[in-house]
Amino acid sequence: MRAIVIEDDQVINDQIVSRLKQEGFAVDATDNGVDGLYLMQEYPSDVAIVDLGLPQMSGMEVIKKIRAEGSQLPILVLTARGRWQDKVEGLDAGADDYLVKPFHQEELMARIRVLIRRAAGWSDSIIQCDNIVLDPASQRVTISDQEVELTAYEYKVLEYLMMHAGDVVSKSVLTEHLYDDEDDRDSNVIEVFIRRLRLKLDPEQNLQPIETLRGRGYRLNLTAAKSNA
Amino acid sequence: MRSIKSRMLFTSLVVLVGFMVLTVVALERAVEKRMLATEDEKLRSLMYSILASVDRDATGLSITVSDERLFEPALFNSESGLRAVLYDKDSEIWRSLSTAESFPRAEDLQEAVLRFSQLTLNDKHWFQLAFSILWPNVHDQLSLYEVVVWKDASEYNRQINSFQQTLWLWLVITVTLLLLLMWLVMLWGLRPLKHIGEEVSAIEDGVKQRFDSSYPSEIKPLTQNLNLLLQREQHQMERYRNALDDLAHSLKTPLAVIRGLSEKPVWQDEDKKVLSEQNERMNQIVSYQLQRAATMGGELMAKPIEFESLIQKTVSALRKVYQGKAIQIELKIEENHLIRMDESDLLEVLGNLIDNACKYGRRQVIIQVKSIDEFLHLTIEDDGAGLEASQVETILTRGNRLDQTQEGQGIGLAVVNEIVKVYELDLKFSKSSLGGLKLSLTFQKS
Repeated sequence: MRAIVIEDDQVINDQIVSRLKQEGFAVDATDNGVDGLYLMQEYPSDVAIVDLGLPQMSGMEVIKKIRAEGSQLPILVLTARGRWQDKVEGLDAGADDYLVKPFHQEELMARIRVLIRRAAGWSDSIIQCDNIVLDPASQRVTISDQEVELTAYEYKVLEYLMMHAGDVVSKSVLTEHLYDDEDDRDSNVIEVFIRRLRLKLDPEQNLQPIETLRGRGYRLNLTAAKSNA
Repeated sequence: MRSIKSRMLFTSLVVLVGFMVLTVVALERAVEKRMLATEDEKLRSLMYSILASVDRDATGLSITVSDERLFEPALFNSESGLRAVLYDKDSEIWRSLSTAESFPRAEDLQEAVLRFSQLTLNDKHWFQLAFSILWPNVHDQLSLYEVVVWKDASEYNRQINSFQQTLWLWLVITVTLLLLLMWLVMLWGLRPLKHIGEEVSAIEDGVKQRFDSSYPSEIKPLTQNLNLLLQREQHQMERYRNALDDLAHSLKTPLAVIRGLSEKPVWQDEDKKVLSEQNERMNQIVSYQLQRAATMGGELMAKPIEFESLIQKTVSALRKVYQGKAIQIELKIEENHLIRMDESDLLEVLGNLIDNACKYGRRQVIIQVKSIDEFLHLTIEDDGAGLEASQVETILTRGNRLDQTQEGQGIGLAVVNEIVKVYELDLKFSKSSLGGLKLSLTFQKS
């Protein structure tokens, strides 16, 4: 998953970024609205955390602009003022949720996970495709109630594929949602992760959940248990 | 006398009518005097003409009026209204042919003095001129005689009446015309004041921000100062809220930093708990005091806001937030009504109350607005666990006793309670038929 953090207070910005990375997110962070809008426009992300009081361009303006461009990116607003006017106007402008400062990091992560799941059409807190169950909060994966040990990157690939079960996901999209800018982007590594995931998810090779579409990418051929799908 | 116009019209009416009546009365007097003098003169000339016809009678002992010498045709015809009688000391010795009535004798006549007077005989008004003369008989003995002439005053009265009628008619016409003119002048003169009234309502309704500059010089200082006042108030309000925003930002951001740090694994659980509690307490004090300070209350010129559309806006925002929770927010609203309240304050009330209902409700929240007379009754119901009366008191006064605040308790309702107090609204808690809490709040329409 890839997240954008737009927060002008450097300490809070760092706190959120490090927490997100800890949770396995690739993060792009900035301290002003203009750069934030640019990040939203240019980087395919899964969620954005936007502070309302920003220099150069206010958070509200950033949200209005990106929504005017038709972006569906889930946005969580951070506000120092607890006034409902800010919350209602932020949500009205296109934000999906809000959090009032000071907040608990746990709360922030929980809200972000909800937003990402919701954007992919999931309404439950766990993600389930047939017999594979993924819990984003604990980052545990079970197959038919048997826990499977995954590395951080394997988990990230599986989470993304499960979120978009049934859709074709290209290698470059996977790379973008998995890696930070500064990381080495070698798309061959993705093939390695996919191979390892196939072995771990389907040791007997009779299920073949991850299909390779030559030149296009991968598809998880399982039925997603989306309550509203 | 509520309006300047009616005061001025009333005063003008009194002054105008007073002045006119006095003028008319003076005029009447003068004309009456002049006409009486004319009557007097007419009778005098008649008198002289009779005196010229007086001569000794045949006996030479007394006198009489010679009808041959009397060249006054009017005295031969009773229709003329002129009468003449000659008396000696005791009785009448001659009367004109026109005289049919018997007049009383004039009393206390002075010798050789003409006396003009008026009298009423058998309901008829007469002018009378009397003269007493000494006349010698053949023996040169002087005897006193009296000549009296009368003139019927009907014609005079008719003229006076017609004059009076014309005069009063013109008085009424003049007064009416003058009042009408004054009313028009006043309308014109007071138009700027009326315009000010219209502009004040336009400013109140939020259609305008300030007064126009095209006012007469007498009123300009007033509107200019009002404009300054309005401008200052708007700026002040803006500056005040901006200052509060800055304060909130500069206090909350460090709190957020501290909270982030306190959640690091370097702390022992005990310390973590204390840090978190203290942080929360500071946060609540800051939040509560800032929210309270930001409550505007009755602004000098609060813009009327659309009540129902703000509810709708709040609900659609909260539907987004509670998307994950299977809660049904039912909105029973008919039309839009205006209320005079600061938008931010109303949103604070609506946001907190509806958010609470969504938070504590299980599956259903019903929001209803009923318009009765000049009031709007808002009810928010949920199917949650509800509240006991004692809990309500604690929650509403939570902001006041922050030392007792415990983590996890919001100050939302306490802030609502502050706003409700400032606007003197009526907030009631009861049990909902859905099973949970029912909040009733009454607003006054604009």
